[in-house]
Amino acid sequence: MRFDRLLDANTRAALQVAWLRAELEPASEYGRNVFETIEPFAPGFETAAQSRARFIGELARALDGARLDAIRDALRAAPDATPAIARAGMGEVLGDANLLELQRFLDAAGRVDALLIASDAPLRVPTGDVADLIAILERGRRGKFGFYLADEYDARLAESRGIAEREQAEYDAVRGRLARRVATELGRDEIAESEFIVMREALHGALPAEVRVVREAPTYLLCELDLDAASLAALARRDAANEAAALAEEGARATLSAAVAKHAAALQRIASNLGTADVALAQARFVRRYACEVAEVVADAHVAYERARFLPLAVELEREGRGYEPISLDLVDVAVLTGPNMGGKSVALRTTAFIALLAAFGLPVPAERARVGLFDDIAWLGIGADEAVGGLLSSFAKEVVRLQEILARSAPRMLVLIDEFARTTTPREGKALLVALVRTLRSRGRAALLATHLAGIARAGGARHFAVRGLRDVPQTPASGNLAQALASLAASMDYTIAEVTGGIERQADAIALAHLLGLDGELVAEARRALDVEG
Amino acid sequence: MNVGDALLDLARADGLRSIIVVGTGKNVGKTVVVRAIARSAGARGLAFGLTSIGRDGEAVDVTDAGVKPRLFLRPGAIVATARDTLPRHPASELLDLSNLRTAAGSLVYARVKAAGYFEIAGPPTATGMRACIEHLARLGCEQTIVDGAIDRVAALAGGGDAIVVATGANNAKTMQEAVDDVRGLVARLRVEAFEPNETFVAIEGALTAEAAARLLAAGERRQIVVRHPTQIVISGKAFLGIAHRLRIRCREPLRIVAATVASIGRERYFEPRGFARAVANATELPTFDVFAAERAA
Repeated sequence: MRFDRLLDANTRAALQVAWLRAELEPASEYGRNVFETIEPFAPGFETAAQSRARFIGELARALDGARLDAIRDALRAAPDATPAIARAGMGEVLGDANLLELQRFLDAAGRVDALLIASDAPLRVPTGDVADLIAILERGRRGKFGFYLADEYDARLAESRGIAEREQAEYDAVRGRLARRVATELGRDEIAESEFIVMREALHGALPAEVRVVREAPTYLLCELDLDAASLAALARRDAANEAAALAEEGARATLSAAVAKHAAALQRIASNLGTADVALAQARFVRRYACEVAEVVADAHVAYERARFLPLAVELEREGRGYEPISLDLVDVAVLTGPNMGGKSVALRTTAFIALLAAFGLPVPAERARVGLFDDIAWLGIGADEAVGGLLSSFAKEVVRLQEILARSAPRMLVLIDEFARTTTPREGKALLVALVRTLRSRGRAALLATHLAGIARAGGARHFAVRGLRDVPQTPASGNLAQALASLAASMDYTIAEVTGGIERQADAIALAHLLGLDGELVAEARRALDVEG
Repeated sequence: MNVGDALLDLARADGLRSIIVVGTGKNVGKTVVVRAIARSAGARGLAFGLTSIGRDGEAVDVTDAGVKPRLFLRPGAIVATARDTLPRHPASELLDLSNLRTAAGSLVYARVKAAGYFEIAGPPTATGMRACIEHLARLGCEQTIVDGAIDRVAALAGGGDAIVVATGANNAKTMQEAVDDVRGLVARLRVEAFEPNETFVAIEGALTAEAAARLLAAGERRQIVVRHPTQIVISGKAFLGIAHRLRIRCREPLRIVAATVASIGRERYFEPRGFARAVANATELPTFDVFAAERAA
């Protein structure tokens, strides 16, 4: 999937696209080839994106987990037969390993198709066009997985092989008799190798006539067995028989290769269908695994969702035995998101981009309901994503460089996610920059969500304002100061709900309470509270 | 005597179902030994498999263009070799395809259907070789024979194989040098299992000559424990010097069952019986001369 068409490297890292890519990885080489070519749907292709998402949703409903696994096992077992198909198509005579590959490829396609039919899935990988080739290859099947250029392929095969076998046996017998006679004369058990050593001290009299000395040494003779006339004649007959058998085998391969060439176009089609099916099945598996729903794909720059999850984080928390609270948001135009530390602002930004990303590839999304537009570009600016830019620059300078790069882009429809821009400069100037940024994004018609701790940005910038509800009550600090327990206590007290702020009253960031909960020195926390009171 | 039978007996007496033949260098008779064992296994009616670490069995040595012994195999033998080395004639019964890569294409498993010459090029990596040996067993091989290579000795790691060490006149200027080489190699491969109840220093990764020198300089008296003898990367003679002064041990010892000698080299030859006897004395292993069809007295 061409994630790079929509996301730059920073954004791919922020959205953990590597995780998504691994989750959507097809099982076969055919699927992987298709996977690498999938482009996102561009604005204007909403109907196609919607149709694709519905198809994947239907596929996910039709196939249960066990059947999906069985299909993926079949796909995984399919060797890449496309080079063999291409070579046969060009008139080459294939080797036996190629023929076995083709047989296994067709086995896999047949098995996948049978499982899809049994599931009543809206997908097929038909192999009917090559039924006669399948029957031809079947003659060579040995056991469940093997292949042999069987005698049945060519009348000359059985005959020539039979002769070769007889001539080999005849040669073995004649040479064996010679070797045994020589061994007996030399007082040895056998002469197995073509070269052998005779110790001079063990030699009584002359060497047998059929023994030729290759090298003489003071204590031994390196010898070779010289074939007698009968052995040489048997050897000549064996070699001639082998040559005839080799010709017959090559003839059978040529016939089989011609049959493959005749079906090359149909075989390529099956390979292509198998790849397309593999990709769709991997997507359906993802949809089933993460309970995704088909979003309504709309024509405007809109990202609205109910009870959505940023899956990479949800999966990580689940692995740690921790809960995940889905969120809802309705983003049109530009909006500002505020809320306490650890209240999920960054996750909300990522969720928004993640939903838009999946919808752009025609995939159901991890939300109970969603309405999503298509974008040409999705850009992230925030913590963790700006490190690559300018190693000598300060944090703020890196942000500015990155922001300028995003603002300079010319994508007609862009979704921008900005996480705490200008957090490292003075609140007064940071606020001014943020207000200006909101206005700029609005004037350029961007869809954007900006998370910040600074107050008054939305109102001054003329944007909608959302806020995380935050702590319901001050969580109990664990007696032990255990961080895992503190996080659990925080999660239990935090209301991650995002609501639109209409009255202009903004909540505190709950930073001091959180610092206390996370185990910061008690005296320091008390002093902070006093300082806050004094400031009023 | 039949050397193949003797080697097979030594391996099977210990219940070891794979025999790996490694040499002190190139052209020391490894393939001749492999061929002798294969012939004996076939004569006994054993279902056996053949493979090699890297590339072996070519008619001509790809590195120096010298003539190499080929493997003439009879029906029933199973080979694990690169698909590009499998002869088109006689056609073999293909049993399985594999994703294991070699320099000559991916590995295939095939049963010989008609007698013929075969070139064997097996997996070049230790994990690949281990997977290959296991797959040959799954395909029904009662005995697997591996044409090994000393520079790929890491492939021996982690298995319960019988190891035969081949040496010859081709790789040393004098008989004494050849004997010293094989003594060093065998001593290295034969490092004993460590004693867990005694103190030890565990070495993660390879034990190099430099690391050994540091341990010597520090007067280390504890056991020096590597996971496997193949992780000792100290050449033969140097190892002999160090082995007397450090207690080098391993967690997974190897089983060296025999040595073989090829007294005929391309440029020189050694007196066969004297060479075999010297190797037997130096290694304390049953030692055979395949060409003379003798065991060292």
